[in-house]
Amino acid sequence: MKPLAVAADKAPVANDAWLLRLRRLLDRRPELFTLFLLVCLCGFVGAANPNFFQVSTLFDLARASVVIGLFALGVFVILAAGGIDVSFTAVAALSMYSVTQLAVTYFPTAPILLIFMASALGGGLLGLINGWLVHQLKAPSLIVTIGTQYLFRGFLLTFIGTVWVLQLPEPMDNFGKIALAEFSTERGSRVILPAFFLILPAAAVLTWWILNRTLMGRAIFAVGGSLPVAERLGYDVRAVHLFIFAYTGALAGVAGMVHVCSNRLANPFDLVGMEIDVIAAVVLGGARITGGTGTVIGTLLGVFLVVVINNVLIMAGVPSTWQRVVVGTFILVAGAFFVVRRRV
Amino acid sequence: MQEQDAPAFLEVDGIHKRFGGVHALRGIRFSIRRGEVYHLLGENGCGKSTLIKIISGAQPPDEGVIRLDGQEHKALTPIAALAAGIETVYQDLSLIPNLTVAENVALTEQLVRANGRLARRLDGALLRQTSRRALASVDLPTDDAFIDTVVAELPLAVRQLVAIARAIATQAKLVIMDEPTTSLTRREVDNLVRVVGELQRDRVAVLFVTHKLDECYRIGGEAIVFRDGQCVAQGPIHSYTKTQLGQLMTGKAIDGSRYRRGVAGQETLLRLEGFACGHHFSGVDLQLARGEVLGITGLMDSGRNELALAIAGVLPASGGTMHIAGQPLQLKGPGDAIAHGIGYVPEDRLAEGLFLDKPILSNMVALVLDRLRNGFGLLDGNKARALAERLVGELRIATPDVDLPVQSLSGGNQQRVLIGRWLTIAPKLLLLHGPTVGVDVGSKDTIYKAIQALAEQGMALIVISDDLPELLQNCDRILVMRGGRITAEFDAAVADETLLYDAMLASDEAVAA
Repeated sequence: MKPLAVAADKAPVANDAWLLRLRRLLDRRPELFTLFLLVCLCGFVGAANPNFFQVSTLFDLARASVVIGLFALGVFVILAAGGIDVSFTAVAALSMYSVTQLAVTYFPTAPILLIFMASALGGGLLGLINGWLVHQLKAPSLIVTIGTQYLFRGFLLTFIGTVWVLQLPEPMDNFGKIALAEFSTERGSRVILPAFFLILPAAAVLTWWILNRTLMGRAIFAVGGSLPVAERLGYDVRAVHLFIFAYTGALAGVAGMVHVCSNRLANPFDLVGMEIDVIAAVVLGGARITGGTGTVIGTLLGVFLVVVINNVLIMAGVPSTWQRVVVGTFILVAGAFFVVRRRV
Repeated sequence: MQEQDAPAFLEVDGIHKRFGGVHALRGIRFSIRRGEVYHLLGENGCGKSTLIKIISGAQPPDEGVIRLDGQEHKALTPIAALAAGIETVYQDLSLIPNLTVAENVALTEQLVRANGRLARRLDGALLRQTSRRALASVDLPTDDAFIDTVVAELPLAVRQLVAIARAIATQAKLVIMDEPTTSLTRREVDNLVRVVGELQRDRVAVLFVTHKLDECYRIGGEAIVFRDGQCVAQGPIHSYTKTQLGQLMTGKAIDGSRYRRGVAGQETLLRLEGFACGHHFSGVDLQLARGEVLGITGLMDSGRNELALAIAGVLPASGGTMHIAGQPLQLKGPGDAIAHGIGYVPEDRLAEGLFLDKPILSNMVALVLDRLRNGFGLLDGNKARALAERLVGELRIATPDVDLPVQSLSGGNQQRVLIGRWLTIAPKLLLLHGPTVGVDVGSKDTIYKAIQALAEQGMALIVISDDLPELLQNCDRILVMRGGRITAEFDAAVADETLLYDAMLASDEAVAA
């Protein structure tokens, strides 16, 4: 038998050759489309307002992308396994507020590392509840996490507290102010790139490593591709469910604490309402809502896209009310693009 | 061919399995030696699939023991079965569509090595090395471009080979193949037979689960026959005749001769002239009379599937004319075809035809909701039930209740539900695509009888099938398609399999020669 010609060209017409190549490239790397949208958007804002190309803008964007970026990495991991999570903001809020309260009350001098670890652990445990419920009930994760989102928030506001914590423990207060880089604008105001920005690339590298270099990572994609088949082939689906929700919960816990340190106050009502922005970012990054696809780089590009739209469109003279319209349009364009890509 | 005294690799003894009130396996006992080929035969619902699940660790037995190389187990887990060298090629292939070829083929090895624990590093180099070795042994490409291809992008026949490559990637001692040939054409089956021969030389046991007796005889080996959850016979397959095997499976005598008794009518119902559809087929001339059963066969890429789809209005025709009862037709969609009395029963009844989780009743009346309206314009439940129950009776569908979901039925009964749905619109022309794919001997019999009964009532039928005996038994004429054209026509009463097979392959042979 001759080896089969598998990747047969469908229509190799000469003048369509570059189109075909482009399509193949986008087939393999859909996140290039996200990058393209991002570059276009930045070009547009920059053309309308040259002030955009300034270090201070970059620092602002970097600062704004940490929390949504951490959330998005978590959501991406769950999406890769064919699930979805809408409870991560509630997890983050419950975790960050409880840990802050504990620190204020019992251990105001706790080292910042311990505080972050406690918040990650808290988030991880809450995520574990999600994972356990999803696996045990065999229920769609959307329904389960809508339920737990109410539970977690209700628990937070009923039993932990509703008041803002304005006086943070000193290590937390200081951590938010540590600068990785500093920059003075012409008008003399001082802009800093906060040190906590580093958490995002660190989390991205960790996520990439887990997904691509461990059996767990491959199992996550296998479950996202086909759960019954993965189960039949001996993948431990229970372990996958527990891991992805716990991991996302832990990232959410860290994100919540970054939010507190960055704003220098802990507000139990914060973070709610970001869910759609985060899921939009992940989908704009090329991950399919049905699971099994996507990349960490794509997710980060999607995050930057959403952050740019939410933060600097106003610099180009686009009224803030129009931001939603732009996000919506982009999602439809990207969504249509990724669907068409599958069909041809 | 191996030493007969060698200890069995796998023995199952006294296996029982119950699902609720159903006693699916009743004390199964047999053994499998290395390097031998076995055929597990039996009707749908006889317990074959349940046994496969128990051997591959997907389900535990209620009673009995499984002995692997003499070691007793109460039950196996998927990982334990894999670690022992039991690999399964499932009917649905069980490939993970979004992973690459290399990952599909070789991840299992690392999973087994980690004993199922996922907190382990992935060994990328080993993954590629193992997958290359396995792919080479089934003659698939081993270059980077191929092994990094996502499985969803591969054609079905290649996926089948990838699934087999996975089964032999590690040191398999027993490869179970669950209906491996249902989706393959003859040529691909030849290739599979060759792979099985190689496995045998490497002292790997192969257990086939199949309905295609002809292939079993070709491959040879032992037959294990199940009926009603019991093992009723085990012995060399050549020591049984086809009729004997049929009797063992069903417990009753099966008539292997021609079903077609009626005569085609005089009045032409369907006439195609120069019928064409893109690059799929062209220049098709065809006449079909009322009460006639016409068979169409050919290789996968011969255009026969597309011809059926075009007649059924699913694919738009790009040229030629189509007349129904002398009236010219231009079909704009399947709805249009239905309105003109053309019914189409697709091959993949699971994906294209049935709402599996919906009741039998809803599935049957889906096409005639208009006719079943009451005074308020709502569905008249009693009328619908009466219609469904009448059809269940006529087609002898084995179910106590039309409110049960279709997925509670066996494959043959599901197929009859689909045929029943088309009978509700009383079509003039019914196209049946692979009407008995994955259907057992007993159900085949009832489906064939239903086909003949329909023809006798004056309906014209077109049967598109790979199953040549099926066409010979049921049709008046058989058309062979090749490269998008009708290349031969046979009188089914005098043709035989060899003639048809030669006509299907003629051009390929010519090129090879």
